[in-house]
Amino acid sequence: MGVVALAAFVGLVLGVAALVGALALLSGFQSHVLSRLADETPHVLVTPAGRPDFAGEEGAGRTLAALPGVVSVVPVVRGRGWITARGQAVPAALTGREGADGITLDPSQSRQLSAFPGEEVVVVSSRSRLSPIGPVPITASLPVTDVAVASTGRHQPEAVLPADAARRLFGLPSAGATGYELRLADADAAADVAARARAALGETATATTTWQEANRPLLLALKLERLAIFATVFLVVVVAGLNLAATSAVLAATRRGDAAVLTVLGAGPALLARVFLLAGLLLGAAGTLSGLAVGAILAIVLDATKALPLPAQLFSLAHVPFRVTARDLLAVGTFSLLWSFVASLVPARMAARVDVAEALRAG
Amino acid sequence: MPAEPILRAESLAKGFGEAEARVELFSGLSLELGAGEATAIVGPSGCGKSTLLHLLAGLDRPDAGRVLVDGRDWTALAPEPRARWRGEAVGFVFQLHHLLPELTAEENVALPLLLAGSPEGAARTAARELLSRVGLSRQSGSFPRVLSGGERQRVAIARAVVRSPRLLLCDEPTGSLDAAHAADVLELLLGAARERAGALLLVTHDPGVASRCGSVRTLTPDGLSAA
Repeated sequence: MGVVALAAFVGLVLGVAALVGALALLSGFQSHVLSRLADETPHVLVTPAGRPDFAGEEGAGRTLAALPGVVSVVPVVRGRGWITARGQAVPAALTGREGADGITLDPSQSRQLSAFPGEEVVVVSSRSRLSPIGPVPITASLPVTDVAVASTGRHQPEAVLPADAARRLFGLPSAGATGYELRLADADAAADVAARARAALGETATATTTWQEANRPLLLALKLERLAIFATVFLVVVVAGLNLAATSAVLAATRRGDAAVLTVLGAGPALLARVFLLAGLLLGAAGTLSGLAVGAILAIVLDATKALPLPAQLFSLAHVPFRVTARDLLAVGTFSLLWSFVASLVPARMAARVDVAEALRAG
Repeated sequence: MPAEPILRAESLAKGFGEAEARVELFSGLSLELGAGEATAIVGPSGCGKSTLLHLLAGLDRPDAGRVLVDGRDWTALAPEPRARWRGEAVGFVFQLHHLLPELTAEENVALPLLLAGSPEGAARTAARELLSRVGLSRQSGSFPRVLSGGERQRVAIARAVVRSPRLLLCDEPTGSLDAAHAADVLELLLGAARERAGALLLVTHDPGVASRCGSVRTLTPDGLSAA
């Protein structure tokens, strides 16, 4: 009996530890992805609604900067146009940003134009200006300073250029902006800050996009991935629970004589059921707690010691990250204990219905 | 008016199996035991002596008839109240001690009191007192595996009488003991029944043990007859 109980205990410990480890691994990766998303995407993008820009509303930036939780406000100028070089032209989303001293091309634009850092490109605005000979396109000649994916939260190739050049291209006055990018002290507070920004600048005249909204498809995919992993590894705990049920049944069968003696001494069926239920639950609780501890300690140690390296050329991470959260431990522990309870019900009923005379005759 | 007997069995019948494989153990068995009475039941192996004890203790159901202890018919009781009644009214001693191996002698003796809801301290005190009376005060903390056969049976007797039951049922209580230990155990059982003015019904193969009881009855297919 000891060996059977030990096998059930070890099975449950391994099942729970595997679930905790898998969730910690998933949390580690997802936490890294979310952290990068939050780093590279404006936490809140504030844009005008019903008009193209914030021209003439220079106080908007100061209003936004005064909102609680806002760390920085960066005015941006956005529009569409073309980038030309060597007789080639590609349509492009353009973002003007303070501090840029040339144009940063998206890798796809760079490839199409064969334009690389140090070379000059001409940016042509979608707007035009009137001249004595009629409307002429507004252009700006800019040196390519970098080739990189713009971190603006928009999932399309984007070129980043100096804000002044962008204002000229899109006919905005100096200090004019088509939007403001906010960075917050707490990225998770983006929805609250967005609501306050709309309230401060006028609910109907302002639109906001949080970093979660900008990355909604990716966040949804991460949630689905988490659910799928949980459901898969969860089966390990289900199997371990069934093993526990089998062990409890063996326990009830082998201790039938003891159950009969307890009956002789005055224990009713309900008490016998409680005794065997408690035995199953104790085994389940011990296995669950040990599994939680083993899984959590293993994940914490693997993360702290960076024991599982990743190839640097393939991943943006140097090692496999693990992140143990109280929520995961609570979810796994609760499920495992509930399952242990359910698994102990049948053996408990077996014990309660023991044929005392037969059990005593059998010795 | 004559006193109500502690145990009254009326027209009990019991058999096993179905149809052609059916074996009738006994039928029309009636028995009365009054306060202070000790009766031995003898008979060949397989005649149903242990089964009769199980019926009297409410551990098995008769095919016919009923059993009353202190005027209360247990065959009419549901499992839960029947278990409570059994714990209170009936003490049972087996041929093999059937002590729980994980519990000490003291815990084994205290168990019926704990099952009845007594506080642990009071139950342990009562258990130590009884163990002292059966000469096992020094073994109260010992587990059954380190006790001799006679000591285990004395612990089992202490456990059977710890709730002062009115009826003490013993199934070959000396069957696994040598003569000296058997005599000790029998003396304890008779003394326990006398002290509590209860009734003792004892099943045995041993004519010497049977002769120590006030009356001896033989179990036959037609019931009990005077030996």
